[in-house]
Amino acid sequence: MTTVTIPGEGSLPSLIEPSGRGWWRRFSRRPPAVIGLAGVVIVVAVAVFAPLLAHYSPIVSQFGHVLEGPFSAGHILGTDQLGRDELSRLIYGSQTTLEVGVLATLLAMAVAVPIGIASGFYRGAVDMLAMRITDVVLAFPFLLIAVGLAAIFGPSLQNIILALGVAQLPGSVRIARAEAMALREQDFVQAAIVTGVKERVILFRHLFPNMLSPLLVQASVSIPAAILGSALLSFLGLGVQPPTPSWGNMLASAQTYLYNDPWIAIFPGVAIFLTTLSFNLLGDGLRDLFDPSMR
Amino acid sequence: MRAYLLRRAGISLLTLIIASMVVFLGVRAVPGSPATALTGNTDFSQAALAAINRAYGLDNPLPVQYVDWVGQVVAGHLGSSPVTGMSVVTELGNAFPITFELTVLAMLIALLFGIPTGVVAAIRRGRGADYASNGLALFGLSIPSFWFGIMLILLFSVYLKWLPSAGFIPFSQSPGANLAHLVMPAFVLGTGVAAVLMRQTRSGMLETLRTDYVRTARAKGLSEWVVVGKHALRNSLVTVATVIGLQFGILLSGVAVTEEVFGLPGIGQLTINAVFQRDYPTIQAVALLTAAIVILINLLMDFVYMVLSPRVRLAGEL
Repeated sequence: MTTVTIPGEGSLPSLIEPSGRGWWRRFSRRPPAVIGLAGVVIVVAVAVFAPLLAHYSPIVSQFGHVLEGPFSAGHILGTDQLGRDELSRLIYGSQTTLEVGVLATLLAMAVAVPIGIASGFYRGAVDMLAMRITDVVLAFPFLLIAVGLAAIFGPSLQNIILALGVAQLPGSVRIARAEAMALREQDFVQAAIVTGVKERVILFRHLFPNMLSPLLVQASVSIPAAILGSALLSFLGLGVQPPTPSWGNMLASAQTYLYNDPWIAIFPGVAIFLTTLSFNLLGDGLRDLFDPSMR
Repeated sequence: MRAYLLRRAGISLLTLIIASMVVFLGVRAVPGSPATALTGNTDFSQAALAAINRAYGLDNPLPVQYVDWVGQVVAGHLGSSPVTGMSVVTELGNAFPITFELTVLAMLIALLFGIPTGVVAAIRRGRGADYASNGLALFGLSIPSFWFGIMLILLFSVYLKWLPSAGFIPFSQSPGANLAHLVMPAFVLGTGVAAVLMRQTRSGMLETLRTDYVRTARAKGLSEWVVVGKHALRNSLVTVATVIGLQFGILLSGVAVTEEVFGLPGIGQLTINAVFQRDYPTIQAVALLTAAIVILINLLMDFVYMVLSPRVRLAGEL
């Protein structure tokens, strides 16, 4: 997103379009997309500056202040069942949430894009193999993938990221594959093949840079999906383990106190909802930008 | 057409075989001996361990074990749960109807909301109805289903006291109570799928509404109903059918949490309990069952695909 502020047109070519400014002008004309971008920037800032923003420790209990309601003295959003400041836990919870969402997506992309490019470019046996792998991954609900990995390697943040990354694989492979198939037929790629350019160079210099925009769009929908997935796993007790706060495990422990103290169940859910909504709005904005026919 | 179907069926079978190998190897990759995984005990003498390994055929080479295991599964022997002592088949049999009813209701809700709003959004593109449907779809995509469930319980069970918050009553016992227990979970589960269906329908419709044959249909003087309903929608549903197939795997993950939130003793809750009790025979059976269901549904969707789209039908004949 930093490409938009570069002064002097054409001084630094944007990966997405030759003129960075036109890109920003068209993007900024869509209020939902701008709201989404702002939301994402805010969540990232909260995660980065969590130690400065939170007034309390997210894990130290104050047993004299258990389940105080919102707007009680010193605790704007109240405290949870162990007397921990709800707002501070929400602030720190953004760190694990973003970490899982972004890393799972990066992992999926790093594995899926080479597979997708190879399968779309070479077709034949490579394609057949890649498609069967994605079919098998799709056949298992990601919950079971996560469960399996946790059983084999033990529950940890890395394994949640791994499980959600694996779950994201099929979608990313298919997109890279479709793009590679379309690009392969284009004249500049055909010309490169005919003139004997090395295949590795074609794959990474000709194909890959030209599929960055659809991959960017895929990333922007994959991050919120991974965030929802990790919240779901944490909610079931398979994800981030207490006392480390995650929005999912905060919701899980809040369920016991639902009848008398509903607010501790409301805030973490709102945080997840607003974060995923921001990413989805941003993703929609990017998609409209790259593929205006769907607007 | 038959060749195409046979090819798809062959691919599905291949996928199912690979999936079953993944399940088979997955359970054997769990740390500790397979005897531990299969019986739930960790404390064995060497002699007892050897006896168990022999009894379960675990001293055979892996390929032999796999073939034996597949033979047992095909014969319906899925073992028994070391936790409850019940046969896994009985457990699945008890839980399956609940999950089945929940999933069907959720899909119905999703289709009922998703497809009409998608069509309206495409026809009224760029106008109020389009923005409203898009907003709803974004809501459905962004809201965590389990939190949505908790909020509905807060509103309809805790404050308004209209609906029960948890539990299940069989349809045969009391149809009214059955639906009262399922309406919230089905709605929660259906929302996310409805959102995806709406978006797919909308973009599919936008694409087909621009095609020449739709213009021809309009030029022939056909009513807008026929043009949209018969020509455009039918072709847009081709992509929607694929998405429904893809959504099923995601839906089944959602089922687990939804059942957990609403206290429904279905396959999802069975899975979650099995996970926490390290009940591997049950997990193995559930994994195999869900993989088979997802693969079967995707095959069915291929078939629907063919019926809906003359292009695919004809390509299959060539």
